[in-house]
Amino acid sequence: MNVAVYKILGIPNFILLAIAIIVALAFFINRVKHLYFILRIGKEDDRFNDIGARIMFALKRILLQLCVLKDVTAKDLAGLGHAMIFYGFLCFAFSYLFMFGRGFIPGLSFHILGDTFAGYFPLLLDIVALMVITGVVWGLLRRYVVRPSRLESTPEAAIIMGIIASLMVFHFLMEGFEVNIDPHETASMAFIGVAFAGLFNNMGIERTTQEALFIASWWIHCLLVLGFMVLIPYSKHLHLILAPFNLFFKSMEPRGALRPILDMEEAETFGVSNIEEFTWKQLLDLYTCAECGRCEINCPAHLSEKPLSPRHLIHDMKVHLLEKGPHLLGGNNGSESGTDAQAEAAESGYDGPALIGGVVSEDKIWSCVTCGSCMEQCPVCNEHVDKIVDMRRYMVLMESNFPPEIQAVFRNMENNSNPWGIGWATRADWAKDLGIKILSEDSNVDILYWVGCAGSFDERNKKISTALVNIFKKVGVNFGILGAEEKCCGDSARRIGNEYLYQMLATETIEILKGYNVKKIVTQCPHCYNTLKNEYPQFGGDFEVVHSTEFILDLIEKGKLKLSKPIDKTITYHDSCYLGRYNTVYDAPRKILQAIPGVNLVEMERNRAKSICCGAGGGRMWMEEHLGKRINEMRLQDALDINPNLISTACPYCLTMFEDAIKEKDVQETLTGKDIIELTEEAMA
Amino acid sequence: MNSVVCVKQVPDTESVIKIKPDGSGIITDDLKFVMNPYDEYGVEEALKLKEKFGGSATILCMGPSRVVETIRTGLAMGVDKAVQLDDPAFEGGDAFATAKALAEALKGLEYDVIFCGKQAVDDDLSQVGQILAELLGLPHVSLIQKLQVADDKKSAVVDRQVEGGIEVLKVLLPAVLTTQKGLNEPRYASLPGIMKAKKKPLDVKDLAALGLNADSVGCNGSKTMITKYTAPPERAAGKIIEGEGPQETAPKLVQLLREEAKVI
Ligand code: SF4
Ligand code: SF4
Repeated sequence: MNVAVYKILGIPNFILLAIAIIVALAFFINRVKHLYFILRIGKEDDRFNDIGARIMFALKRILLQLCVLKDVTAKDLAGLGHAMIFYGFLCFAFSYLFMFGRGFIPGLSFHILGDTFAGYFPLLLDIVALMVITGVVWGLLRRYVVRPSRLESTPEAAIIMGIIASLMVFHFLMEGFEVNIDPHETASMAFIGVAFAGLFNNMGIERTTQEALFIASWWIHCLLVLGFMVLIPYSKHLHLILAPFNLFFKSMEPRGALRPILDMEEAETFGVSNIEEFTWKQLLDLYTCAECGRCEINCPAHLSEKPLSPRHLIHDMKVHLLEKGPHLLGGNNGSESGTDAQAEAAESGYDGPALIGGVVSEDKIWSCVTCGSCMEQCPVCNEHVDKIVDMRRYMVLMESNFPPEIQAVFRNMENNSNPWGIGWATRADWAKDLGIKILSEDSNVDILYWVGCAGSFDERNKKISTALVNIFKKVGVNFGILGAEEKCCGDSARRIGNEYLYQMLATETIEILKGYNVKKIVTQCPHCYNTLKNEYPQFGGDFEVVHSTEFILDLIEKGKLKLSKPIDKTITYHDSCYLGRYNTVYDAPRKILQAIPGVNLVEMERNRAKSICCGAGGGRMWMEEHLGKRINEMRLQDALDINPNLISTACPYCLTMFEDAIKEKDVQETLTGKDIIELTEEAMA
Repeated sequence: MNSVVCVKQVPDTESVIKIKPDGSGIITDDLKFVMNPYDEYGVEEALKLKEKFGGSATILCMGPSRVVETIRTGLAMGVDKAVQLDDPAFEGGDAFATAKALAEALKGLEYDVIFCGKQAVDDDLSQVGQILAELLGLPHVSLIQKLQVADDKKSAVVDRQVEGGIEVLKVLLPAVLTTQKGLNEPRYASLPGIMKAKKKPLDVKDLAALGLNADSVGCNGSKTMITKYTAPPERAAGKIIEGEGPQETAPKLVQLLREEAKVI
């Protein structure tokens, strides 16, 4: 049937279709342009390096659907549904070329790609359409019947689902009519089309009526597709267009490295207090969010009933951006963003809520433990933590606005180079009688043991430092410590938002380390590890940094360290965020435990990349936990659920948080906390 | 409303203090110096007055070049300018000699209120504020915890904590007030504040600039003299009593308490 020249009210179809396409495209382009100009308000950010790797990453994540399949579990199969809809969408997108093409080119059909293709492709489309309908029904059931907490049942979602389902239905109808009126056009392999065709004939529908109905279904199908296209940039389905870009522009820096403020002497403002002070990439994140809620259900702040939800954080900022953005464009959305004066004048026209305190409450900003789970789980690779830290930076550096207990912590770091504020000269007192080399006295060492503040000053953690020293000595490692010259690495200061203090500590330390020509560093604490390894290079500190668990495992694997004394215990291991998610050291601690005879290693339900923070990250170690439940107790419950005798950690903060929770919950009788280093020492022959 | 805050630089309270072998003083090489914590309350209060009434806040600080860091801390918090008294002749002064130099410097400054910390945490003398008031012929109230300046700026009502209650006084301005914990929460300097502080005026004055002679300040002008520092006796290490259970250890403990500690 020649669709192109079929006339409606005397006007040939190809003209009508052209008009429909032009109108739809006009709406679509107008909106996309609007979004693009708002995006350009954002600050500079160079995300064009290493293009090849970027393309590969984006392609892999999208084409293989790793973005959603990576976290499919028996409990949450939604990723599978997404993959089904995605591949279905690809097939149909291809078929739509033909559907629209037929409106212009008479006789266009799949046959131009060969008869085999024309035979099998409709079959594939039918199967896919069935899959998609199943996916949609499943999706609707989940949203409106099962209602998992991470999904919100918005009218928008229902409309989109409705359109997708209708597209499939009209696909079958079109096919059915066409089998009857143009049998050679459609291959009989399209079993559902054929079934529909039979149904129409059985109903006794006239051929001419079937022709008219075919044209009608074709039209409705085309209009639905165009409507869907227009809807995309107005809805969360914007991720269909933007996800590939967002993945392409993802940060190529180590995840654990926060962006430095470089021109501290010159800059007039620090951090972000206005949405337009984010970089364009940070704004792109807001657009791209698919509101899937994966970040939220893994967020310890949200899970412990604090006001922060990373999903809402992103969405609220997106709504705010779309409200404020047009004001910043000075009304002439479409042209260049204009001079500063213009922009300012336009900004005065905006009287909505402020970003900090209005769109995002201060409590939300302080609730984050920077555990990075949101970023780990986000299928479109949104980068949440840097936005939160940027807002903290503004609050801390510009307004000295932070939880009151933090002031003393900053002062302590400034005056005594440790958060506790214990005299800096006593930093190495724990090691007094251990006969350890101090670099200022003898810098001829292979390894610098970076003890960290907790290992130096916290009573409990000092025992772990001593244990590590015993391991070093047993194996005959030529190592030394900085002693009183060691300072806080600055992790907490940086994550609380005090970039100035962080840079002061970091640059001083880098200078000292370079002065001793240090090459290789072993850290006990994952926070020191992450900072030294991933963040010090930003300030010229390039050292080989390994975590104690990696170092110990290496000794075991090389046969230098034998763990032969059995520890007959059921032990679980808690992943520290900054060791696990930020640096993907998941296996070393587990392998050490497995190397100890007698150990029965058991896993908590949330482990590895899905592990939940102990509650102390992001400087929260030093803040009171006034809101919601206590994160450490929530995490302890994960362990209690599987009934181990011992919970092992590889981070001084985690250990402190667990020991507090164990006391609080009064389970000391059955459960103890220990560092992997201590267990290694115990098992040493 | 103009205020002057007298600030002293002291070793951080967590410092490990080492006494010079001859006992004449402490070794300052390795020390971390900070602003005397009680003076910070004065700085904060001066800034509050400035925010409320306008005018200026000035820091007056005596000491060698190392005190500049402490002065900058105050400037970063928001103080407008500072005067540093730096001359070898000032060294080793007691409270009286110090107050004498401060008083002389204050004659060249405009003030409605002079704040001093209630005491410096290094020598704990608690005298400079009071002597300063006497030398300047001004009223003074010590250990204030609340300050309300009248709208005409001619007087103020201050609270001070006394045993079992609060004493409320009215004092005519200008006056010297010594500040105590509880008066306010000193602010943390903002980064723009820290950057601006580097460019704020710092007026360094020596003995000649004050028009004093070397006999009236420092060691020579002092009424008291430090003759010797000694460290507190070292505490002996604790003893752990070994044994199986309380039946065995308790008698040992009793014996030791009686014979060695001689407390029972
Ligand atoms: S970093 Fe962790 S605490 Fe912060 S928003 Fe993300 S998931 Fe939540
Ligand atoms: S930020 Fe990412 S994980 Fe969170 S809702 Fe949006 S798309 Fe999903």
